[in-house]
Amino acid sequence: MILVVAEQREEALNRASWEAIAAAQQMAGAWPIAVLALGASVGDVATQLAQADVAEVLTGEHAALRHYTPDAFTMALKGVIDQKKPAVVLMAHTYQARDFAPMLAARLRVSLITDVIGISGDGASATFTRPMFQGKLTATVRATSSGPAIVTVQIGAFRADAVRRGGSPSVSPVEITIDTAAIRQQPEAPFQEAKQAVDLSQAERIVAVGRGIKSQDNLPLAQNLAKAMGAEIAASRPICDSGWLPMERQVGSSGQTVAPRLYVALGISGAIQHLVGMKGSRTIVAINKDADAPIFEVADYGIVGDLFEIVPALTAELEKK
Amino acid sequence: MTRETLEVDVLIVGGGPAGLSAALRLSQLQKQQGGEPLAIAVLEKAREAGAHILSGAVLDPSTLRDLIPDFQAKGAPLLSPVQRDNVYMLTERSKLRLPIVPPPLKNHGNYLISLSQFVQWLAQQVEAEGIDFFSGFAGQDVLTDGIRVIGVRTGDRGVGKQGEHKPTYEAGVDIHAKVTIFCDGVRGNLTKRLIQEFQLSKDREPEQYAVGLKELWDIPGGRIEPGTVVHTLGYPLRHEEFGGAFIYALPENRLALGFVTGLDYADPLFDPHMAFNRLKKHPLVASLIEGGTLVRYGAKALPEGGWNTIPKLHMAGGLIAGDAGGFMNSMRLKGIHLAMRSGMLAAETAFDAIRAGDTSEAALKTYQDKIDASPIRTELYPVRNVHQAFGYGLFAGLMFSGMTLLAGGRWIGDLRGRPGYQRMKTLAWYYGLDVPVTRPSNVATIDRLTTFDKLTNVHYSGTAHEEDQPSHLIVQTEVCSSRCGPEYGHPCTRFCPANVYEIIRETGQPPRLQINASNCVHCKTCDIMDPYQVITWVPPEGGGGPQYNGM
Repeated sequence: MILVVAEQREEALNRASWEAIAAAQQMAGAWPIAVLALGASVGDVATQLAQADVAEVLTGEHAALRHYTPDAFTMALKGVIDQKKPAVVLMAHTYQARDFAPMLAARLRVSLITDVIGISGDGASATFTRPMFQGKLTATVRATSSGPAIVTVQIGAFRADAVRRGGSPSVSPVEITIDTAAIRQQPEAPFQEAKQAVDLSQAERIVAVGRGIKSQDNLPLAQNLAKAMGAEIAASRPICDSGWLPMERQVGSSGQTVAPRLYVALGISGAIQHLVGMKGSRTIVAINKDADAPIFEVADYGIVGDLFEIVPALTAELEKK
Repeated sequence: MTRETLEVDVLIVGGGPAGLSAALRLSQLQKQQGGEPLAIAVLEKAREAGAHILSGAVLDPSTLRDLIPDFQAKGAPLLSPVQRDNVYMLTERSKLRLPIVPPPLKNHGNYLISLSQFVQWLAQQVEAEGIDFFSGFAGQDVLTDGIRVIGVRTGDRGVGKQGEHKPTYEAGVDIHAKVTIFCDGVRGNLTKRLIQEFQLSKDREPEQYAVGLKELWDIPGGRIEPGTVVHTLGYPLRHEEFGGAFIYALPENRLALGFVTGLDYADPLFDPHMAFNRLKKHPLVASLIEGGTLVRYGAKALPEGGWNTIPKLHMAGGLIAGDAGGFMNSMRLKGIHLAMRSGMLAAETAFDAIRAGDTSEAALKTYQDKIDASPIRTELYPVRNVHQAFGYGLFAGLMFSGMTLLAGGRWIGDLRGRPGYQRMKTLAWYYGLDVPVTRPSNVATIDRLTTFDKLTNVHYSGTAHEEDQPSHLIVQTEVCSSRCGPEYGHPCTRFCPANVYEIIRETGQPPRLQINASNCVHCKTCDIMDPYQVITWVPPEGGGGPQYNGM
């Protein structure tokens, strides 16, 4: 069977967990899928997960799992894996997964295949495609360890909205054993940077600005559109380099990789360094004065025109609703 | 602040062909002659061996045979023997094949290689000998006591943009060595400092450089036989510019395509990268790469000046080898075998000096004597004036090359040269303009299929640096905001092949230089070619830089 490890913090499910479920559904073949939620109290999260068309939802609850620590999570997961003996353990390639998955794989002495962007085949014959060298090459690999393969899927590589719903999986607890004395980490209270921190990878809609916005004074134009759309604001590198928006809003090879349902690129030429950060987006809309701008090669909808005319008009239409 | 120190016998700075040959040779001498084992360390700024290495390349295997006689058995990655040579003179639309390939460009017996892959293999041989290979560590400063070189200080890590210490801060280490062999590449930052401090260029001709841009392509099959070597002259360069293209057909439908431009051009609006794009539109090249896929891009400066520009290579406690010393045969377009041999000779000198307990300047002079008695001099001395002759134009250069071949290198008096950056003329002199113009004079169409803008190209170099660090390009920017625009039109925005330099013009403000340091591919062109010489390249935090797989 495939064990999907969902991620939650303070009982809010990380959107990327759905992507992992979609990946599992794609490759399951004849294998049943179990989704595991770990935490101190995961009842609500489990109920949400139970909407998916999977065989079972497992709740792994333990006080030591209230706040994430790699040691506790590794011990808990190892215990679940030893009990359930899945063929594949699947999770989204989030910061948290990146933190403990290597230790888990090393402890189990099994293959770890990370940042997977595609899966071919199903069941035991599935192969995984993953990028190498900043995406310049891709490698197709197969796990060869005896014991489960641990696989993490790149954010946005599988569509959360492609998850088949309508199953009625059983929701049952699974035993969690943790030797709390062996936990070496002492988590502090989570904090945000003094500037308003944002995790763009969780945004469903993004409005991004590039050099076409011309001046910092014109940012409100884009911010109004974002507000009218319920979108987060993001930017290409030159905007962040000039300090007009903070670095955590930068999308691209030296910033964040995002894959929202809707990405609106305003005045962004589409340099390849930016494209690698957003081309996984479901729908891309581009507005640019230059008909030859590379952004139009990846855009689903494009307007060759002056964003200073178009954006206010768009915002006005959206505000009517 | 007290820094950690590390004591070794020989410190080799730079893990390229010269540095690795030196390390291997030291270990061979050790085995042959026995005695107290020497502590040897190699410093390499790239994260792994070969990552910052690129070249065409056609390898003359003579030094490889001397260094590693069983290189075939050890799996040296020689991709293909050279099967045929062609030299073309290009005009904008056509090509003229030279009926006779000039003897220096005959490559029978030589091999096509990826130098990056070759260096990776050399590094494996070095590590198999148990020599410490410290990758991800940059040589930041030379340590001297005023008289002798006592070692090198590595760069600090974990320093933020404003110079503040981040939580990951680690101070650089002072590595003390009895002999330091500097193999830090063309226009190496440490060698540059040594030349100034020890006046190593006092009686020498000024160094001359070129910049080489290279792309690796996957092309459709059947267009060119593997093992074919093509060199060109002429278009897209004019008579006053030095350079040409190279096209090497590798196995499995891979093509190494490159363009070399002398860094001594007069036209301030000339752009070497645009010249490369123009070349790619020429029917000879377009017919090869159309429908192909760009795999990798890179750039490097080349030491073209020849024998008379090589500085004094020894000082108390220090030796210089490889491209840092300028051992390139610009007529044969070959430097790898010479870099390797210089590394071997430096190793022999260092070994004897340490065993004898004397690493003074007089003792290390045997390095120069060895070079004078070696194939390096036999090869480089006769062609010592060739690059300087091209300073008089393409025709003069070709004539002189022909004559020097016939005369076996004999000439009445040696030709003088001028540093390349001094040969760049102002906008006023060249164009009669007194307003800042920045558009290149040799613009080419960018179709993003075979020709690319610099920003797209640099993506394919795989270059990446820790973003939060001080800029490793130190520029006296008063010049940029005042004189440079009207005088030269900001040539750094044109000669940098990686889009590091941009001029930002805001209304009411003087032009401002923006340095996109993380695009840098460590080619050194800016340090060399800037007409005011106000740009200094220093190594960024260790590990950062290009990823030249296959180059």
